[in-house]
Amino acid sequence: MAERLKAILPSVLSVLLALAVCWALIAFTMTSGTATDAYLQMLWGGIGNWPSFLDGAAATVLTRPLGESAMKAALLTLTGLSVAVAFKVGLFNIGAQGQMILGALAAAVVGAQLSLPSALHVPAALLGAALAGAAWAGLAALLKLYRGVHEVISTIMLNWVAVSLVDNWLVIGPLRGVAEAGQSITGTAEIQATAVLPRLLGDLSRLNLGFPLALLLALAVWAWLARTRPGFETRAVGLGAEAARAAGVPVARRTGVAMALAGALAGLAGAVLVLGTEGRYPGTLGAPYGFDGIAIALIGNNHPLGATVAALFFGVLRAGGTRMQLLGVHKSFPELIQGLALLFVAGRMVWLAVLRRRQASPGSGPAPAAVTPSTEAPRV
Amino acid sequence: MLAVVGENGAGKSSLMNVLYGLYQPDVGEVSVDGQPVRFKSPRDAIARGIGMVHQHFMLVPTLTVAENVVLGREPTRRGLFDLERAVSEVAATCARFGFQLEPRARVDTLTVGSQQKVEIVKALHRGAQVLVLDEPTAVLTPQESDELAHIMRGLVAQGRTVVLISHKLKEVLGVADRVAVMRRGRVVAEVRAAETTVEQLASLMVGEGHSARAAGLADLHGGIPPGAATARHEPASSGAARPPGEATPTLTAEPGSRPPGETSLAGAVLLEARGLQALGDNGRPALRGVDLTVRAGEIVGIAGVDGNGQRELAEVLTGLRPLTSGEGTLLGGPLAGLTPAQARGRGVGHVPEDRLRRAVVKALTVEENVALGRHTRPPFARGPWIDFSGRRERTQALLSAYDVRPPDPAVPLHALSGGNQQKVVVARELDARPKLLVVVQPTRGLDIGAVAQVHAKLREAREQGAGVLLVSLDLEEVLKLSDRVYVFFEGRVTGHFTRPEYDERELGRRMLGAGTGHG
Amino acid sequence: MSDVLHALLFSTLDAAPALVFAALGAVLSERAGVVAVGVEGMMRVGAFCAAVAALAMPTPLAVGVGMLAGAALAAVHGFLTIRWRSDQVVSGIALNLVALAGGTFLLESLYGPNGTPPIQQLSRWELPGLASVPVLGALSGHSAPTYLALVLPFAFQFLLARTPLGLRLRAVGDKPHAVATLGLSVAGLRWGAVLGGGLLAGLGGAVLSTAVLDRFEQHTPAGLGFMALAAMVFGRWTPVGAFLAAAFFAFGNALRIGLVSSAPGLLELVPQGVLLALPYMLTLTLLTLQGQRSSAPAALGTPYEQESR
Repeated sequence: MAERLKAILPSVLSVLLALAVCWALIAFTMTSGTATDAYLQMLWGGIGNWPSFLDGAAATVLTRPLGESAMKAALLTLTGLSVAVAFKVGLFNIGAQGQMILGALAAAVVGAQLSLPSALHVPAALLGAALAGAAWAGLAALLKLYRGVHEVISTIMLNWVAVSLVDNWLVIGPLRGVAEAGQSITGTAEIQATAVLPRLLGDLSRLNLGFPLALLLALAVWAWLARTRPGFETRAVGLGAEAARAAGVPVARRTGVAMALAGALAGLAGAVLVLGTEGRYPGTLGAPYGFDGIAIALIGNNHPLGATVAALFFGVLRAGGTRMQLLGVHKSFPELIQGLALLFVAGRMVWLAVLRRRQASPGSGPAPAAVTPSTEAPRV
Repeated sequence: MLAVVGENGAGKSSLMNVLYGLYQPDVGEVSVDGQPVRFKSPRDAIARGIGMVHQHFMLVPTLTVAENVVLGREPTRRGLFDLERAVSEVAATCARFGFQLEPRARVDTLTVGSQQKVEIVKALHRGAQVLVLDEPTAVLTPQESDELAHIMRGLVAQGRTVVLISHKLKEVLGVADRVAVMRRGRVVAEVRAAETTVEQLASLMVGEGHSARAAGLADLHGGIPPGAATARHEPASSGAARPPGEATPTLTAEPGSRPPGETSLAGAVLLEARGLQALGDNGRPALRGVDLTVRAGEIVGIAGVDGNGQRELAEVLTGLRPLTSGEGTLLGGPLAGLTPAQARGRGVGHVPEDRLRRAVVKALTVEENVALGRHTRPPFARGPWIDFSGRRERTQALLSAYDVRPPDPAVPLHALSGGNQQKVVVARELDARPKLLVVVQPTRGLDIGAVAQVHAKLREAREQGAGVLLVSLDLEEVLKLSDRVYVFFEGRVTGHFTRPEYDERELGRRMLGAGTGHG
Repeated sequence: MSDVLHALLFSTLDAAPALVFAALGAVLSERAGVVAVGVEGMMRVGAFCAAVAALAMPTPLAVGVGMLAGAALAAVHGFLTIRWRSDQVVSGIALNLVALAGGTFLLESLYGPNGTPPIQQLSRWELPGLASVPVLGALSGHSAPTYLALVLPFAFQFLLARTPLGLRLRAVGDKPHAVATLGLSVAGLRWGAVLGGGLLAGLGGAVLSTAVLDRFEQHTPAGLGFMALAAMVFGRWTPVGAFLAAAFFAFGNALRIGLVSSAPGLLELVPQGVLLALPYMLTLTLLTLQGQRSSAPAALGTPYEQESR
C-alpha cells in the first residue's frame, strides 16, 4: 500500500501544484477574487451546480455538466490509454492524434455509408475506427521493428500526414457531405441514426454510450496487462526487451500488437467523438485529444486505471472550463493546468529532491547524493 | 614501468579513475612529482601530465583520428579549427613515438588495435609523462598485444612512466619493471618483475591458502617450468592474510565429494554438434568450427581465457545467436535456426552471464521474474490467465529452498542483492527441470556462501540426470565441477580432458593455444 | 513564365526563414544529443513575445525579445533534461502543451480572440539593381531574416565543420564520455546547444509574427515546429541539409498556395491535402529507405551519466 501511495504521490502533487500556479496566474492578471470565482465556476461546470440544485433547481443543473464532463473524460481516457499501452511495451506514442483522426474518419464513413440495423451499425463503425487507428499505428511499429526508425519521429510525421490528407483533402473533397436544401455543410455526410451512440439519460444530458465504453476498455486493458500471459509478456518487453527475448517471448509480435492496440484505442476515441457528439467528421477535429493523451498517460503514471482517473479529473476541469468564460478566462484554461501538471510530472525529480533535502536536513544533514532517474518513461 | 595486477573486482580500475580525476577520493591523497594534488576533473590530471587509456575506448567513432586526438585542445588559425595543422601535429606525434596511423582516417573504419593506438597517441599528444593503460590487451589479438608491448617498452625507454593494469600475469612479467598486486581494494604486495614468477604473482593475487587456485591461475597464464609448481612462494606481505572462514575448497582438498565411477551417470546424448561457426558482436568469427557432445547426467566444462568464443557458444545453444555454419542436434531437434522459445520448449535452461540484461527484468517483481520464460505453463498460468496464487506459492517455495533474502515474492527484483538475484535465476532455471542447462559464469560476484549453494545445485541437477554445460573463466570452478572439460581458444576446441585425467598445466597450455600453431 | 517563377521564388523566400531558423535550432540541439521536440513550443513563445514586445518597442528589438523568450523555454528544457536528466521527449512535449495553452490563455485575456493588435512589420530591403533582373529579382524586397536565413545555415555548417566548438559539439552528441575524459564539460556544451537552439527557434517564431504576419495569431506556429523537425531529419541532421529541406518544403508550400489562385484545375488532379502531406511523406519515405541509425547522432536522447559507459 505504501508502495502504491509512493507511486501516485508525485502525480497528485504535480496536479495540485499546477492548480496553484494557474490560480496565481489569474490572480496576477486579474484579481485573486476572480481567480477563486473562476475555479468555483470550473468546478460547478464540471461536476454540476450543487448549490443551485440544493436550492431547488431542476436535476439538469447536475446532469448536463456531468454529461459534458463524462464525454470529455471518455475521449481523454481512450487517448490516454493509447499512449499508456504503447509505453508499456517501451514505445512513446506521440501519434495518438493521427490515429484518432483516422479512426474518426473511418467511423464517419461507416456510419454514413452503410445501412445496418442499429445493433450492428454501431459495432461496425467502432470496429472500423479501431482498425483504421491500428493500421496507422502499425506503420510506426513496422518502421521501428524493421527499419530502426524511432517511433517519436515516425508518429509525429504520421500525425501530420493524417491531418493533411484527411482534413485538407478527403473531408473537403471526395468524402465531403452533400449539401441539402441550400445549406452548406462542413465535414463529411451526417451518420445515419442507426450509427449514433445511444444516449443514456435521454434529454437530461448528452451522456452517451461512449463513456461506459471507455471505462470498460480501461478495465479491459488493465486486466489484459496485469492478468493475462500476453499482457505480462508485453510488460516484460517494455521493461527488459533482451531478457524477454532470452525467455522466449516473441518481442516483435508483442511490440506490434501493443502498438496496434494503442492505435485502436486512439481510433475508438475518434469514433466516440464522431458517433457520440459530432454526428459526422467535422471540418477539423478540434481539440488535440491525441496530444492530451500523452499528458493524461504520464500524469496517470502510465497505469491504465491511473490514466482513467487523470482523464476523469481533467474531463471535469475541461467541461467546467467553458463556465470560466463568464469571468473572462478563456475556456482553454484547463489545458494550461494539464500542460503544467505534465511539466511538473516530467520535472518531479527536481522538486522531489528539494522536498527530500528539506526532510533530510532540519539540522545540517548531507544532501541526498543521487536522485534515481525516471523509470516509467522509456528512454529515447 | 609499473604493472598493477589483481583479480576482477580487486579495485584496479577504480584506483586509476581516482588517479585520473574521474572519481574523487573519499580519503587519502594523490601526489605527482612529490607534490600532493587534488584532481577535480580529468582536465587537472591531464595538466599534470597524466594520460589514461580506458578499457572501453573513449573515441568518437564519426570523427577522424586527428580530430579525436586534438579534441579539447584544437589548433586554431584565426579562431578556426586548423585541420591541416591538426593532421600534421598528430602525424608528428605518431612519428615521434613510432605509431603508424593515418590521421585522416575515420575512427570507426579502424581495427580495434589501431583504435587503441589512437587512444595512446591521444594521451601522448597531451604531453602525458605518466600513461595509464587499463586492461589494454583484453580486446587485442596476440600479434596486436605483442606490438603494444613493444610500444610500451619504447615509451619507457624514452623516459616516460607506464602504468599497466592487467590480470594477465605472463604479459605483465614480460613488460613491467615492478608489479603491484591488488586484492579487495588494497595493494597487498609490490615486487620486482625480474625477481618474480607467474606462479608467485598468482598466489599473491588470490591470497594465502588458495594454492590450488593460484596454481590454476599460474598455469592459465603459462610460463612456469615443470616442477616449479611444488615450490610455492609464501606471500611476504602480512596484510595479505585472508579473512577467517573464507576457506575456498580446492580440488585436492575435496576429493570425497565425488565418488569414483560417478561419471557413469552419463547417459543419452543431449547435444551433438559438428563444425559450429558463428559471428561475435563485432561481426568477426567468434566460433570457428566447434565439435561438442553433451550427455545426460554429466557436467561439461568449457575452459578458456575470456573472449575465445565460450559466450557465443552458450548463445548459440540457447537460440540467441544464429549459426553461420555447422550442424547439430539439440534435444531431438536441429540446432540451426533455433529460437529462444524453441530452446526452452525442448528443455534448455539458461543461466546467462549478464544477469540484468539477459536473465531478469529488474523492474518486475521477484515472482514475475520467477515466472518469466515459464509464464505460459502451470502453475504460472491457467489458460490465458496468470495464475496468481499458483505463482505465489511456487515462488515462496523456491525462495525458501534457495534461502533468498528477503523471501518476499512481491518486491521488485532490484530490491535484492546481486547474489540473491542470481539465486532467483538459478532457482527458476532448475525448477523448470531442464534436460540441458547452459550456465555461464554462474558465481561471478557472489559471496562464498552463495557460490557453494549454486555449485551444490548444479551437482544436484546432474545427479537428477540433467546435462550441464558450464562456461566459466574461473578455471578452479570448471575443474571442480566438471566431468569433462573442453578447452576453447580463438573459437576452436584446443583440448578435451576427462576426469580424473586433468592435467592442469597441459590445460593451461591449451588455453593459450598450444598445439594449434598459435601462441 | 518568368513572372510565375518570380512570384513563386518571392513567396518562398518570404515564408522559408521561420522554418529554416527552427530547423537549424533543432539541428543544433540534437547534434549535441538533446532531443528537440519542444521546438514548436519555443516558436510559439517566441512569436507571442515578439508580437507583444513590438507593441511597445521597435520591431527589430522585439525580435530579440522573441529570441530570448524561445531561449527561456529552452532553459527549462535544459534544466529538466541536462541538470536533472529527465526524459527529453516528455519534457519537450510538456513544454509544447504549456506553450500552446499558455499562449491561448494570455492572448485571450490580454487581447481577445483575434490575435494581438497589428504591429509594425520588419522593414523590407529593396536591393537596387537586382529588382529589375528577371527571376533573380525575387531576391529583392524581403526583410532582414530572409537574408539571414540564406547565410546562417552555411555559417552554421562552417561552425560545425571548421571550428573547435563545432568539433566538440559533434563529439558530445556522438560520444559524451569521450568528451568528458578529455576534461571538457558535457553539460556545458549541451547547455550551450540547447540555449542556442532556443534562440533560433524563438527567432523562427518571431519572424512569423513580425515579417510573415503583422501580429500573433491564435494558432501560430500551427505545426511549423514539427515541419522543422521533419526538415532536420530529411536534411540528415546537417545545417545545410536541413536548410535545403526547409527551403524545399517552403517552395512546395508556395507552389501549393500559388496553384490555389492561379490553377485551381490542377488541384483537382493533385489535391491540396496531398501536397500538404508531402514533406512528411517524403521524410517517412527517406527513413524507410535508409533507416535512421545512419545519420542521427549516436547519443541522441540519452542523458549523460558519468558512471555509465
